[in-house]
Amino acid sequence: MKNKPHLPYLLALPGIAILVAMLYPFLTGAWWSFNSYRLNRGEPEFNWGQNFVSLFSTGEGLHAIGVTLTYALVVVVAECILGIGLAMLLNYGRYGNTFRLLIVLPLLLPPVIAALMWNVMLTENGVVNWLLESLGGQRLLWLSGPDSALWSVILIDIWIFTPFVILLGQAGLKSIPAELREASAVDGAGPIRNFISVTLPMLMPILVVIITFRGIDSLKMFDIIYTTTQGGPVDATTNLHVLAYLDGIRNLNFGMAMASLIVLWLLCYLISFFLLKARRKEAMA
Amino acid sequence: MSTTLEQTALPQSTTRAHVSASQRRRRKKNVKHGVVIALLSGWTVFALAPIVWIFMMSLKTPEDIISNPPKFFFLPTLANYAQVLSGPEFLTPFLNSLIVTLGSLVLTLFIGLPTAYALARFTFKGRESIAFGILSLRFAPELLIILPLYLIFQQSNLNDTYLGLILAYQLVTLPMLVWMLRSFIEDLPPELEEAVAVDGGTRWTAFRHVLFRLIAPGLGASLMLSFIWAWNSYTLPLVLSGRNTQVITTGIQQYISFQSIAWGPMAAATVISLIPGILFALLSLRWVVDGLTAGTVKG
Repeated sequence: MKNKPHLPYLLALPGIAILVAMLYPFLTGAWWSFNSYRLNRGEPEFNWGQNFVSLFSTGEGLHAIGVTLTYALVVVVAECILGIGLAMLLNYGRYGNTFRLLIVLPLLLPPVIAALMWNVMLTENGVVNWLLESLGGQRLLWLSGPDSALWSVILIDIWIFTPFVILLGQAGLKSIPAELREASAVDGAGPIRNFISVTLPMLMPILVVIITFRGIDSLKMFDIIYTTTQGGPVDATTNLHVLAYLDGIRNLNFGMAMASLIVLWLLCYLISFFLLKARRKEAMA
Repeated sequence: MSTTLEQTALPQSTTRAHVSASQRRRRKKNVKHGVVIALLSGWTVFALAPIVWIFMMSLKTPEDIISNPPKFFFLPTLANYAQVLSGPEFLTPFLNSLIVTLGSLVLTLFIGLPTAYALARFTFKGRESIAFGILSLRFAPELLIILPLYLIFQQSNLNDTYLGLILAYQLVTLPMLVWMLRSFIEDLPPELEEAVAVDGGTRWTAFRHVLFRLIAPGLGASLMLSFIWAWNSYTLPLVLSGRNTQVITTGIQQYISFQSIAWGPMAAATVISLIPGILFALLSLRWVVDGLTAGTVKG
């Protein structure tokens, strides 16, 4: 097959075109983050990174960064433990496939709609509070309580996205040769030792994929939070992505909105960078 | 006698061939199975309960919905579905969602397939930068691109149009399609196409007759996955769509107004919007997992 040197570029041209078309708004937005730019007050005006200074010095900005990191950390750790655990249970017996189809369902709903469903159930007179009361517990404020709102959206995230970890985790577990586990069992390793020294290292490549996807998606979570609490009560669940929406669309302050988004974008990139590096090291070893 | 029988049936259990020991082991295994099933059932109940509850709610009358304590047994009614399916509040966004989603898929296919092929089968300058650039669109916060795009669209009159939404939706559909297709193609040996070339075929015939058929199932799964992502997308239409192009994810919130929430119709609309995802699950779950894990899991 003869290769004309321009052929690959020609084939990739539409893809490159979209890439450039998306890079343009990205670069424009990046520039705005260094400007004072309110839509209702005329043109952008360069302000030497004042937006970033105020993001990192005001309570509002720091709080949003804290919420972003807390949310992502809790969600990723919880979903990895639950997801890998459930994947191991599903792979244990013969009834795994039936359970899997049912367990995976939440992942396939639009997150917005899943969040709305939970919103309905978690109201003051909702079915969850009724269940709590009839089990002898107390009613909780859930999404409308300043202290419980963040944990409630985290619960919804876990409900939706644990199946993602289960699906990928199952695939990873199946790729571990059974002889390896048997061999270490013969050598006297108990189930816990077996998990730490055989299963976990073999699972590493797929865990990297899982943590990258879930880490980035939970850092930039918007759908669940905005449809249930709109960042409230007050700012209890306002992460950087929601803050950017409130700044940009509600207050028409595009300069501040873009500054939050650039910080969020850097956080997302940090994750993918470190994890890709870890994976490359893994591949070399 | 029974011990020897058991030993032949279960060759793993070699040592300590006492009757009591093997029985104990079997009992332990049964307990273990029981615990596994119990744990899985527990999570299944947690995963399904909200869906079942909303489904029940969609069959209730307004009085049954707000009754306290909640009703688990009631006379089902289809009134909510009738209301949802007869008015434009649900059908228009539903139709808009279909138009925008299918439009984005067609565009993504025409852009993504040649791009993925070029990235998989050629070595050229800037290849990895292009691949990484396209994938990184998936990892950027949506608003980072959507907010500036909103102003650009405003100037070019693309706000609240199907074309504008379809272009913006490439952000959701294109990166993963290119990524998955690239790994599907890379998994196939290039000798397949070279054989066609030896027989006098062109690159195009090789692609059409050999490669395309081999990647077709994977392509189907990738398209399905893109369909789900586009269908579920919320941030993009929230900013970029308006009265004319309201899609399902933003439209369903119309049932929640400041005065009251139309619980019944909302539940019915929710149940109807779950259908694409469930269809998808039945059709192609395995392929999707293969695509997402491509390159990381061998065997």
